[in-house]
Amino acid sequence: MGHGHHIEIKQETFSMPAKAKNLTLIVMVIGLVLSGIGIATIDHNTNGFVAVSGHHDAHATAEKHEGDHAAEPAKHEAHEGHEAAATETAHEEHGNVETEDFGPRVTYTSQDKPWATRIWANLLVAGYFFTMVSLCGLFWYAIQYAANAGWSSSLKRVPEAIFTFIPVPFVVLLIAAAMGKNDLYHWAHYEHLHLGPNDAGYDRILAGKAGFLNTGMLFILPTILVAIWVFLGSRLRALSIAEDSAPKGDTTNFRKSIRLSATFLVIFGFTISIVAWLFIMSVDAHWYSTIFGIYNFATSWVSAISVIAVTVLYLKSQGYLGLVNKEHQHDLGKFMFAFTVFWAYIWLFQYLLIWYAHIPEEMMYYQPRFENHKVMFLGNFFINFALPFLFLLMRSAKRNSNILAVIGVMLVIGHYFDVWFMVFPGVFGDGITIGFLEVGMFLTFAGLFAFWILNNLQKRGLVAINHPYLEESVYHDTGV
Amino acid sequence: MAILDKNLSLRNRNKILVGVWEDEDALVDAAHALVDKGIHIHDIYTPYPVHGLDRIIGVKRSKLARVAFLCGLTGLILMVTMIWYMYVIDWPINIGNKPVRFTPSWIPVMFEGTVLCTAYGMGFFFFWRNRMLFAVKNDLLDDRQTDDRLVVAIETVEGMNEAEVVELMKSKGAVETKEFQAVCK
Repeated sequence: MGHGHHIEIKQETFSMPAKAKNLTLIVMVIGLVLSGIGIATIDHNTNGFVAVSGHHDAHATAEKHEGDHAAEPAKHEAHEGHEAAATETAHEEHGNVETEDFGPRVTYTSQDKPWATRIWANLLVAGYFFTMVSLCGLFWYAIQYAANAGWSSSLKRVPEAIFTFIPVPFVVLLIAAAMGKNDLYHWAHYEHLHLGPNDAGYDRILAGKAGFLNTGMLFILPTILVAIWVFLGSRLRALSIAEDSAPKGDTTNFRKSIRLSATFLVIFGFTISIVAWLFIMSVDAHWYSTIFGIYNFATSWVSAISVIAVTVLYLKSQGYLGLVNKEHQHDLGKFMFAFTVFWAYIWLFQYLLIWYAHIPEEMMYYQPRFENHKVMFLGNFFINFALPFLFLLMRSAKRNSNILAVIGVMLVIGHYFDVWFMVFPGVFGDGITIGFLEVGMFLTFAGLFAFWILNNLQKRGLVAINHPYLEESVYHDTGV
Repeated sequence: MAILDKNLSLRNRNKILVGVWEDEDALVDAAHALVDKGIHIHDIYTPYPVHGLDRIIGVKRSKLARVAFLCGLTGLILMVTMIWYMYVIDWPINIGNKPVRFTPSWIPVMFEGTVLCTAYGMGFFFFWRNRMLFAVKNDLLDDRQTDDRLVVAIETVEGMNEAEVVELMKSKGAVETKEFQAVCK
């Protein structure tokens, strides 16, 4: 801190304490056990939450459809038969046709879904959330490079470790989407009906979006995008590894990293929304929000900053990261504070734009969420904004390791809930609760994530010893 | 200007010993040495930030954050009052059947008003406190302190060995030392 005494820069090697290994493992096991209890206790006559609505025809159709889809290749007669039945169901549902212009208004949170939908929906949330958080680890050090920031170079290994997790949740995400596609996304269900403009139950909005919202797009586009991110991320990692063994004062790798980071940031800005649209926004396929991509970015970015802060605080508490001091912690706290406000801003303005515009179709996102789940809706705002805002406003809270760590963990949980709340009312409608399965799924992935980060940190020296700005980071000072 | 806090002006202070430095590393060492001798440094004027100096000479934490909070609160109250008067009392308008009372459309106005008052308030009070407001005569101990010199101000107190202080400053790399005597004192 400040001048006067010289700080010696030396390499550190992290080895994961047995306690951390056991703890992450225990969290994972508890998570799996809770998930198991959750799955075992789902009533098989429900869609996962609510009792299936009654008329058996519809239920049978849905199940038939499910079976139908599993054995998809060339089942023409079966498909035709099913199509007729489904059209009938759709027709039934369309009792409340309001205007010709906007097409029929249907409650798409149909309850005629198999009970396993709840499992796939939970996996979708977990996979999506941790994919985005891992991606934001890469975003972190890309902006540090692009902004020529020096202060964060002493904790650079932490976001690097976070990004390496991305393949795991992404595979989970793809599996969840593949297994539960027809029940999670009503556009996917509709896609299989193959309705023409003159058929009953034809949906102009879904038909109009079919060029983008279709099965091929859902799986291929995100895979390509994640592949691009991983490619750029591993190039940056290669440069970072090359830097470690390069002679002192060689800035070639650093300069290349800046260019690569800038490239990544441009691609990231345009592509993160696409993944959010395809996996999450399309749960309410009739609805759209132009701010949705940045809303999802805000959620995952705050979580990523919180994960970085908590990991740094943990490493500090174990006696590692000697070069990181209260000044860096203070700046991490400021980052959390700033993007907590940013998230709240986007959270409110997504609603405000819709409220202003006064288009009934756009209310279908907020209607089931606010009217039926007021406590969850406002609790989301409270845990992700009001509470952390009031704490992080204080300088002393940002410089207190315990308070900052608690807020960091709370923000990660809060934003996981935020993503959960984007998906569940859209899939299940009224009657959703947070049960063993939801808690268990979060704990499983959180434990795995923590284990992965700490395990990855062991593989390289904890200090980016040849980073040209390391010394600047060492003497970083936020002032009195 | 009399409306400003008199203690902030160097004109209302005792004789001031001034030391001029060229190099910030030498300055930091000198500040350490002076503080170690128990000499209270009134302030150090630098054209660019020198990290760590504030801690060495014991600058107190700025109250600007609290001022900002109060300015923000003022802005918030101002805007709520304004829009409540306009929209509810004076001229209620039916816009798409939205209720004539507090609605989400007030929030942007409240937000922007808070931000506006905070930003301008902070700017105003910052310049006021630093005696940089328009028409405030500022006390430059040395014209070059806004350019490339680092200037230390030590206020003389009863029983201070002035010669010793000046000698210490010179030995610690001061390129120039002088005295500043307020005209009105």
